[in-house]
Amino acid sequence: MGKATVIPFGPQHPVLPEPLHLDLVVEDEKVIEAIPQIGFVHRGLEKLVETRDYNQFIYVAERICGICAMGHSLGYAETVESLMGVEVPKRAEYLRVIWHELSRIHSHLLWLGLAADAFGFESLFMHCWRLRERILDIFEKTTGGRVILSVVKVGGVVRDIDATMMREIVNTLDGIAGEYRTIVQTLLSDTSIKNRTVGVGYISHEEALNLSMVGPFARASNVNYDVRMFGRGAYGDLSDFQPILDTSGDCYGRVKVRCEEVLQSIDIIKELAAKIPEGDIAVPVKGSPQAGAQASNVLEQPRGECYYYARGNGTKFLERMRMRTPTSENLAGMMKALEGCDLADVNMIILTIDPCISCTER
Amino acid sequence: MAFASKSPWVIHYDGSSCNGCDIEVLATLCPGFDGERFGVINTGNPKHADIFLVTGSVNEQNIDVIKEIYDQMVEPKVVVACGICACSGGIFHDCYNVIGGIDQAIPVDVYAPGCAVRPESIIDAIVQGVAVLEEKSKALAAQKKGA
Amino acid sequence: MEKFSQSFTNLARADLRSLVESRKEEGWRYVQTLAVNTEFGIELIYTFMLDGKMVNSVITGLAKGDTMPSITDLYLEAFVFENEIHDLFGVSFEGLAIDFGGHFYQVAQETPMTIISPEQKAAREKARKVAEAKANKQAASRASNAEFLADHPDAMAPKKSGKMASPSEESVEAKLAGMDPEKVARVKAAIAAKAKKAAQQEQQSSEASSAVSEGVSAGQDTTLDPELEAKLQGMDPEKAAKVRAAMAAKAAKQREASPEDAQATKAGE
Repeated sequence: MGKATVIPFGPQHPVLPEPLHLDLVVEDEKVIEAIPQIGFVHRGLEKLVETRDYNQFIYVAERICGICAMGHSLGYAETVESLMGVEVPKRAEYLRVIWHELSRIHSHLLWLGLAADAFGFESLFMHCWRLRERILDIFEKTTGGRVILSVVKVGGVVRDIDATMMREIVNTLDGIAGEYRTIVQTLLSDTSIKNRTVGVGYISHEEALNLSMVGPFARASNVNYDVRMFGRGAYGDLSDFQPILDTSGDCYGRVKVRCEEVLQSIDIIKELAAKIPEGDIAVPVKGSPQAGAQASNVLEQPRGECYYYARGNGTKFLERMRMRTPTSENLAGMMKALEGCDLADVNMIILTIDPCISCTER
Repeated sequence: MAFASKSPWVIHYDGSSCNGCDIEVLATLCPGFDGERFGVINTGNPKHADIFLVTGSVNEQNIDVIKEIYDQMVEPKVVVACGICACSGGIFHDCYNVIGGIDQAIPVDVYAPGCAVRPESIIDAIVQGVAVLEEKSKALAAQKKGA
Repeated sequence: MEKFSQSFTNLARADLRSLVESRKEEGWRYVQTLAVNTEFGIELIYTFMLDGKMVNSVITGLAKGDTMPSITDLYLEAFVFENEIHDLFGVSFEGLAIDFGGHFYQVAQETPMTIISPEQKAAREKARKVAEAKANKQAASRASNAEFLADHPDAMAPKKSGKMASPSEESVEAKLAGMDPEKVARVKAAIAAKAKKAAQQEQQSSEASSAVSEGVSAGQDTTLDPELEAKLQGMDPEKAAKVRAAMAAKAAKQREASPEDAQATKAGE
């Protein structure tokens, strides 16, 4: 029986791309409790709705998080459209989903590289980010930006993707898929990785339900929930969508779920690219949201379910805009996963949760 | 003594950034743009680093952290502000919790704007930072000789 | 795939605990808690979801400094949102499982979300004035309309659609008599062309409407691009008929779509 010491972890740490501070209460190399301290990235941008009108705010919404930028602009636009009763043309819905699924692939590849770096597997980190550059090239060719896309607006999308570009996207994805499978094979069948992830940070199915976890973090504990299965928007035109689940509940399961989600997204994009209808890419939106009107919306971001809420007050400024991101919902789950683990496993557990602190704090 | 400029090591810290600039900083060191061919290595230890790459703006909570990391670095050192939020606060400059750019906390040598800052700009900024590093290193050596 | 639905319901402040307890028993998943700072006080919205049904419960009429019971004993993950609301809005929660005591976010101002900036106040005032003025104007115009109709009972008779009344023959001749002969020739040619075009359009619209109502029939005479016509002649007759029907439907849809569009934008003003 040793004495309990408190070890501060973060905010500056080579493995963490973002500042997060944890007070780890440690006894004999085992972590008993982890208390998070966030607030380093808090900018207070929800108050900016008061000075930016609902069309300008979409640029602020994108910059909540650079990794999930497309997701936030899409969720915001859908919420305001629901608030004002605007219906977006079918082609715009398809284009939005194609960009959103590409964003999911890029986010998972980014995460996979960082997780490999946390293990010390630096060459895999370089390979993943090299593949990711091809997705960023697609973004640059279709929207002009690598990270912040600015392609969604209230009422539709700003740019179109023509048939040639669509074929190029599908060819690039086919090229990535082959190399990606080799990488995943290496990662998932390697014994040293299995030694470090199997059984680590275990969360059972009941605990996952009790703590209302979302995203791949929960799906690895066999929680059958993914917003895309409701079939709204272009997702309703998919022939079949099943969320990827895993019963192991540990870090290995979470890595596996995310790896398979990339392949699922590639299939979704190819199916939608073949089915995309002709038509307009936007409808004009005039006027302002009515006073007292409210709307809420959920969207499946790469890290889980994201909830949006908007309320109008009769002016062109929204009264309130709220984004509840998946990582804030998962913080309690993260604390649970850290209990009882070794001090050396802390980095890896935090990374397998895929925290996006700038989303959490806005 | 110009060996610092032959292989500048960087330390990266995210102030209150949205992560866009951070992933572009990491992308600069990855095979797409390959900053590592200039000898740049991303280290986590302030005492090993020559160049401090900061992204994101400054708020109440992280102003002390940024000052702390800067103070722990050893002379000669260069600070590069990556991204418009680090230069001046960017799109969030009038938020209630944003004090401003990095220059509110520490002295900045190179400003690299952009939202998100492009890897080409970061490489350019590091190269300019290396020139500043050489000057500072010469000044330091001259001071030591004179003392 | 399950169906997604969402709704907003009102909730009394005192009923919060009993609602959350029943949600927990029935197995609802907790989604989030948020606060809205309105002119009439602070509102809290709790959201729960079960099998695709999302219910947002709205509690109104709170003020800064009020205390609400915490739900972290039932749903631990709510501590993030309750601490945040405490820091940014000033509503405290008792019984918080993990209580940061106001230091969750270290912000320079106290409860910053309750501060309404002067620009926002000005914008709201302006919007209120504009809405009042608009309502007054509408009421005034309705009153004057009612008066006019009372005096002129036949004003509401249906008009002939589409064309503007063309000037009568005599007035045109009178104008032309005073003009330069070259100009006269040009004007006469223009009038003739316009009349021909109008006749053609009428023929097209009547044909398109008959095409839509009758469905596919081979050998329709819709005005198609001559190149396309040549292609169709060379194609399989069934396929040609399908293409012709598709072109006719597209033309009819475009014509249908344009007056609808104009209506939609007008309604959105």
